[in-house]
Amino acid sequence: MTHEIAMTINGQREQVQVPAGMTLLELLRERLHLTGTKEGCGIGECGACTVLLDGAPVTSCLILAVECDGRDVRTVEGEIENGRLSELQRAFIDAGAIQCGFCTPGMIMSARALLERNPDPSDEEMVEAIAGNLCRCTGYQAILQAVRLAAERARARDATGGGHLASDRNASPTLDRKGRER
Amino acid sequence: MSDGLQYVGKPISREDGVDKVSGAARYTHDLSRPGMLHTAVLTSPHASARIVSIETQAAEALPGVRVVLTGDSLCYRLGLYMQDKCILARKVVRYQGEAVVAVAADTLDIAREACRLVDVSYEPLEPVLDPQKALEPDAPLVHPDLGDYDHMKGVFFPEPKTNIAHHQKIRKGDFDAAYASADVTLEAAFTNPPVQHVPMETHATIAEVRPEGRVEIWTSSQSPYTVRHLMSVAFGLPHANIRVHVPYVGGGFGGKAGLGLEPLAYVLARAAARPVKVVATREEEFNTLPSRQGLHAAIRIGATNDGKITALKATYTWDAGAYADYGVNIGRAAAYSGAGPYSIDNCWIDSRVVYTNKIFGTAFRGFGHLEILWGIERAIDMMARRLDIDPVAFRRANLLEKGDTTITGERFTAGHGNPVACVDAAAEAIDWGMPSAPPGTPHRVRGKGIAALHKAPAMPTYTSCAAVIKLDEDGAADVLISGVDYGQGTYTVLRQIAAEELKLPIEKAHVTWDCDTSFSPYDWQTVASRFAFMGGNAVIEAAADCVRQLKAVASQALDVSPEDLVCKDGRVFVDGIPERGLDYADLSLGYSFPNGNSIGGPIIGHGRYIATGLTHLDPETGQGLPAQYWTYGAHAVEIEVDTETGEIEILKIVTAIDAGKVLNPKLADGQVVGGVLQGLGSALWEGFRFDEHGRFLNPSFVDYKIPTAKDVPRETEQILLEYPQTGGPYGARGIAEHPMISVPSAVGNALFDALGIEFTALPLNYERILLRILESGERA
Amino acid sequence: MLGGFDYVRPRSIEAACRALAEAENPSILAGGTDLLVEIRNGFRSPDLLIDVKGIDELGHLDTDGEEWIVGATVPLNVLAERRAVRDALPALADAALSIGTYQLRNRATLAGNLCNASPAADSAPVLMTIDASLSVAGPDGRRTVPVSKLFTGVKRTCLLPGEIATNLHIPRPERHVRTAFLKQQRIRGHDLAVVNVAGAYDPSPKRLRIAIGSCAPTPVLLEPIDGSGSTAAVVAHAVELAAAATSPISDVRASADYRRAILPVLLRRLIDQLLDGGGAP
Repeated sequence: MTHEIAMTINGQREQVQVPAGMTLLELLRERLHLTGTKEGCGIGECGACTVLLDGAPVTSCLILAVECDGRDVRTVEGEIENGRLSELQRAFIDAGAIQCGFCTPGMIMSARALLERNPDPSDEEMVEAIAGNLCRCTGYQAILQAVRLAAERARARDATGGGHLASDRNASPTLDRKGRER
Repeated sequence: MSDGLQYVGKPISREDGVDKVSGAARYTHDLSRPGMLHTAVLTSPHASARIVSIETQAAEALPGVRVVLTGDSLCYRLGLYMQDKCILARKVVRYQGEAVVAVAADTLDIAREACRLVDVSYEPLEPVLDPQKALEPDAPLVHPDLGDYDHMKGVFFPEPKTNIAHHQKIRKGDFDAAYASADVTLEAAFTNPPVQHVPMETHATIAEVRPEGRVEIWTSSQSPYTVRHLMSVAFGLPHANIRVHVPYVGGGFGGKAGLGLEPLAYVLARAAARPVKVVATREEEFNTLPSRQGLHAAIRIGATNDGKITALKATYTWDAGAYADYGVNIGRAAAYSGAGPYSIDNCWIDSRVVYTNKIFGTAFRGFGHLEILWGIERAIDMMARRLDIDPVAFRRANLLEKGDTTITGERFTAGHGNPVACVDAAAEAIDWGMPSAPPGTPHRVRGKGIAALHKAPAMPTYTSCAAVIKLDEDGAADVLISGVDYGQGTYTVLRQIAAEELKLPIEKAHVTWDCDTSFSPYDWQTVASRFAFMGGNAVIEAAADCVRQLKAVASQALDVSPEDLVCKDGRVFVDGIPERGLDYADLSLGYSFPNGNSIGGPIIGHGRYIATGLTHLDPETGQGLPAQYWTYGAHAVEIEVDTETGEIEILKIVTAIDAGKVLNPKLADGQVVGGVLQGLGSALWEGFRFDEHGRFLNPSFVDYKIPTAKDVPRETEQILLEYPQTGGPYGARGIAEHPMISVPSAVGNALFDALGIEFTALPLNYERILLRILESGERA
Repeated sequence: MLGGFDYVRPRSIEAACRALAEAENPSILAGGTDLLVEIRNGFRSPDLLIDVKGIDELGHLDTDGEEWIVGATVPLNVLAERRAVRDALPALADAALSIGTYQLRNRATLAGNLCNASPAADSAPVLMTIDASLSVAGPDGRRTVPVSKLFTGVKRTCLLPGEIATNLHIPRPERHVRTAFLKQQRIRGHDLAVVNVAGAYDPSPKRLRIAIGSCAPTPVLLEPIDGSGSTAAVVAHAVELAAAATSPISDVRASADYRRAILPVLLRRLIDQLLDGGGAP
């Protein structure tokens, strides 16, 4: 049986008919041709399929499309602002945080979610945020530098009153790795 | 230090970064062709069995199924060095996980459903799982027809009626005599399990067949021309009929060199007369697609009391798994490298590549060298201790130096690099000789270890590479090459070289990303840490060709001799008179005089590089010149062990590599940091597990663990030395594999320092460490 | 496609129970992080998934002063990030945060972790030591099962067909009660437990409860231990009880020898933390 669902994807409203068994990842890649989000394992272990569901990073291979009815989904394709790379994307390039690039979309979504919930994350929080994204090429250090760089640049820009990095979404309290409030 | 270079040696960012951060980069996983079918594969549950029957009617009858293929209809043998592999198993299966049936259908779900409807009946046979057992006279034969297989004659020597796919020998001097007369001797054995590359993008291929025997392939591969060549040989198609595209590739590490899914995709596409896509699931990537071979190493060393190694013998028994195409070359490379970077007068090596009924091995970053260095660098440390000499001093006294000869008779020159400097740099950075600070927590101990490394590209003597540079209408340059940038950043380095040599602002130099055998010039394979060296040299020559053409036209246009012209910032002008010149844009498609007469034409430069001076190795002694260049290095590591749980933490790991010339420090740093962590994966966590029937037990990330961001060492340091390489572009040599290959050895050596326990098997996981601690405590 | 199943999203528990009763081979879908993997790998083939995340009653995380009520659909991150939970029950927060990855914890639930009933379930030991209980709703009404009685075998619970977990009830411990959780993994990155242990210590009346996971077909709650006497004696007693109550096996993750070797170590470290003031109240 197919279900009619509607959701917002990267700010655009999408209305589709999907079988119950279709995952969000399949919907994005095969139906909507948003191939930026990747499949790395199919069992939620590698993070290559990470997207933001109502702002929370999740592995889309383990979410059914039907569960997303009425929800907001953001993928790496939505990271671009007015045809220009976002500050976070630019930071990945500048920090040398990309090699083969296959983990990069998932990493960017995990980093985006982190910076939205916490614009000034500690090193530990950054590690926790991307620890669910496997990378075989970079050794992670440059990726952590990219997140740090993006956060610093955004804070500097906010301090001078220009623009913003973090969207104004429901901010949860800033927490350290053990969940303690800072 | 100013070397006058504008782009080479600078931390230029990757141009492909933009596509990758925006999701615009399309990998084979992301591609599709109109009318494309999807593939599912049924694999063998047995490690060794005769295929009795395969019932496919129910699968074929399923609506949406277009093709069901079994090995019976596919009598092709595949291989680059040893043609021992079929596309789908024929008559027998040789490993659990081997592909037996393939289905192409309208959707992946239908293909998978069809596989569930296929009925295969097997007669299980006794598998041989241990390479040592496979060498015994009455062992089951994995390839009874080994004698009939085509192979690269004169280079590889399979032994029919055995499980030996190849036996490489090194015979330098007289080991037996030297060992017998040595002051001190040591004998030890070491093992490595098979591991997997784990590229984040699994193997994927699309094949589309055109009328009149033509085929077009898109594939996640490191070697488009090798794919084309092997397909041509296997299927009898002219090379020009096979067009291979390589888009973005999500990691390779050697696992995507040679042939992968391309033959299967092709035969399905041919049978279906529609494009077919084959994508490996992550489980298939582990269980069906190749791995790194396992190794058993028996090492004997003899030395003088004052610390000079006089004799070394290594017996390498490679667990090739069911097929040995790449395995034989690894066995060969391991032999000629197999004593480590040392000067040894009497060295005998026997490197045997042995078939077993397990997943087969292929190239993996380091190509046998991580495996042999595990044994060699551990044995070196053990010998140092036996001699009561500091391990760093012992290495210093024996590392190759100018005037020494290697074990294949190659003379070591200054242009080879500086292994001693690498060991010294690593030792200094870890404060070698100073004890570690005491750990802050009870039940923890610390230790330090060091290990040297070396590797040369393992490639045929005729390996070659070509580059074409075409100038655009606006004077910008496009570089066409068939190297594949699967993350290592080679394209960026070549872009820098092109800009440097063409005297062009770097924004106007591009390397065309997609590689297409129809128009990208030939390259052998992007493996072996060879491409910056060979591709770099080819680009330099191609750029020089462009500059010559630019000057030739400009000299006529400006009415001066070409010798009086210089190039700078995209302009050709009379030396000393910049205003008397022309922009490249004025010349790149030809030049028109004011009266309309036109001269020259589109400027296209070409360059090439072929391996020079390499020879085959003598089949009995292994003497010859196999190596275009060697890269030397060392790892030093400080560890901390929880002696109650076996948990090991890397406090600091230093990697020193002699790069000759660092072409791009940002990229080089990335290669080292990434390679070190991948090396730690092999050192501490990774390894295939099999049950007693040869069935694979950990084919997923649940139980095959690779390092995450939480597993990064507390501190890493990367030291890149620059002792120029003879013949290297700007003096550079390859460094892509080297950051990985002595990491396990350094950790093993550090564990002895910390615990007084000699570890000889990998991985050095918490369980192994703790159980050995307990065992040694019981014995104490 | 993960499978040919159908999908419903009831708005009430009654509707969910009805769907459960009417379908031939249904499964409950909350976080889906275990269920969908099992379906993908062919271990389960339901014909209907009943998504309970639309049932408002199941999505709350509340306290009435006496106990915490964790709705069955509350994701682990929400639980672990609630400051008051972290303050009152640090071990529970630790256990929740040790499960999977950050992404997984935005979907996976405590109830799901329990109902999946892996012997290595990371939430089970803590919940057993603090007398938590699971409320379920079924065709015969509602009942509550102590977590310590929930598990009946490897991946088996005492829940009856037709029953749906609704809430976890976690008694609010007295301020002076200390809790702790330790988990031995194979790697620092996300991993299943090789062995996990949890403890709750009430200094007055010096009562220690310990539970152990991944060393038996189910998580095991040891009988209460008297915490008076030296720490070393308490540890020795706990180790003795643990040896009698557990039966570690060798599997792809670890050998029985390794599990047997580290269990006493983890118990000692746990008890040191609880008795000697390492763990914060």
